[in-house]
Amino acid sequence: MTGKEAYRIWAPAGARWTDWVRPVPFVTAGSFSGAYCDPDFHVPAADYVDEHYEDAAVIVDLPGAESVREGIALAKAGYRPVPIYNGTAEQPGARAAVDNQTVGTALIMAAEELEQIRIREDALPAFLTDSSRMNQFRMDASLFDNSWDVYAQDLPSADYFIKNGIRKVIVVGEKISADLRIILYGFQKKKIKIFLAKPCGIPKRKILRRPFRQEIE
Amino acid sequence: MKLIPVRKDLYEEYRLTVMFDCYKWDPQFLDHNTVARYALALTQEEHEELMGLTEALDRETRAAELFLNTHPKIARPLELPGSMRREIRSMGDYEPDKHIRLMRYDFHPVEEGGWAVSEVNSDVPGGFAEASLMPETVVRFLDGEGNYWYKDFGDILTDAIQEKTAAGGRIMLVHCTCYSDDRQVMQFLGDRLSERGFHVIYGAADHLRFRDRQAYSILDGNEGKIDAIVRFTPLEWLTEMKPKRWQGYFDTLTVSCNHPAAIYAQTKRFPLVWDALEKNGVSMSVWRALLPETVEVKDAAGKEDFIFKPAYGRVGEKIAIREACGEEEYQKILKDVRRHPKRYLAQKRFHSRPLPGGSGEKFHICLGSYTVNGKHAGYYARLSETPRIDSNAADLPVLIEGRNGHDR
Repeated sequence: MTGKEAYRIWAPAGARWTDWVRPVPFVTAGSFSGAYCDPDFHVPAADYVDEHYEDAAVIVDLPGAESVREGIALAKAGYRPVPIYNGTAEQPGARAAVDNQTVGTALIMAAEELEQIRIREDALPAFLTDSSRMNQFRMDASLFDNSWDVYAQDLPSADYFIKNGIRKVIVVGEKISADLRIILYGFQKKKIKIFLAKPCGIPKRKILRRPFRQEIE
Repeated sequence: MKLIPVRKDLYEEYRLTVMFDCYKWDPQFLDHNTVARYALALTQEEHEELMGLTEALDRETRAAELFLNTHPKIARPLELPGSMRREIRSMGDYEPDKHIRLMRYDFHPVEEGGWAVSEVNSDVPGGFAEASLMPETVVRFLDGEGNYWYKDFGDILTDAIQEKTAAGGRIMLVHCTCYSDDRQVMQFLGDRLSERGFHVIYGAADHLRFRDRQAYSILDGNEGKIDAIVRFTPLEWLTEMKPKRWQGYFDTLTVSCNHPAAIYAQTKRFPLVWDALEKNGVSMSVWRALLPETVEVKDAAGKEDFIFKPAYGRVGEKIAIREACGEEEYQKILKDVRRHPKRYLAQKRFHSRPLPGGSGEKFHICLGSYTVNGKHAGYYARLSETPRIDSNAADLPVLIEGRNGHDR
């Protein structure tokens, strides 16, 4: 399957929320090394989705291909998975700060399974991101830094969420990372409630404090 | 000049093609689709007029930067950052002919007729693929028939790089490697350069070191001499880099696009040195005819219809136009202007003439016109519902009426 074919499955024309699917891993899929293939692409059941998830947009913030698998699981539970991965591949020959290729390969592999799932037109969105993305640690300056952040412009605005009946955002992951905290603080100011659900756990309400000015800039 | 709609039934396919075949990796910004549902068609006459104005502006800009480079006292009102001022002293023997000079001038149609120019993107203009591949692509999706041609910016820039770089040479495309928005621009150019047989290295500003004024790559697995640098990291970001590893950029003999001399016209405070330039025989008459009156922030007090622009703003960021910003953003910018007046300038507002789209819509246009080494090199346009053309604007391919095909 080509990257473009896979993109059509993840972002079917005219479906709600799919305008936010970032094309980067799909466009560059052809350049990925086969070494990044995940031979054990097993999709868990998202049986934790219960009444806590009503009127909620989800942000899946798990490591690498695990976030893609969780996206497929949430699709089976009625969500529209929206991949917002935005990391690029490294210069050939260079060691990279982040493995962005595994996610790309996983998206292509998962597309066939996603195609078999019927997602309702009014499905709520589950935005998928890789929690390893902000690994900016460089052992030395010669490394290729392809770490990346999620920015406010990568998601719908708080007003858009509210207009579409969404009153809370649940982050599925170990923590609310620094980049998401900046965006979600803005959402909180607009009266959207923020929750954190550790994998398979019950969502717990989070009151976010104002991020430092430096973090915002 | 007119907007031609993309066929409604083909728009989704067009957007997908733009993403996958035209390096448009950021098709959405917040709630805004950034792939316009139109193309912009210029008449042959409009194109010739714009081409003439662009090249005339470019002659003035290049003459000004050469003069400023050897007259630092005259450059003082530009308020370049202190760290940069120290380094530009080493650019005294800058020879423009040894490098590639790329600029983009932003034109706007105005209500009284003709054009206003809002700025020159002198240091690191973007929009490469939009100016090269989108025009060719959009023709297949337009409503109605017509004969159109376009200038392939990518071919022109690649020719210019090829002319000054040894065959098969190693070219580093310097950008912020964390940003896919930067990589999309570099990837387009990198693919074009690879087709010409160059060895392309995607790297960050701190992957270069300089020895005896020659650039070397330290990027893991890609070490060694570099024959040309194409930089997409803005110079003012580069000089904030820590640890400090950027000094060598300013006096390197390695072919550069753009050389740091680009900073003189990049700051939006550039017009504040025109009086001094003209006293020294450097004419800025075309600029004066096209750029709205520009003054220091303090000199705009009590004057009506002035807006504030940051000296190093990009894609319309932090420009204070009340109805184009939300009130909260507007007040925030004004607060920053009061706190740091030298980081801004005041400019008389021009009144953009919107173009009609379909079903009663009207759109404001920013038409970027490129030069490479002094010659006109194509167009990149954006379209917006508001007069401020910022990150919410949509990319608009530019066509010229009259015949089919493309020109280098």
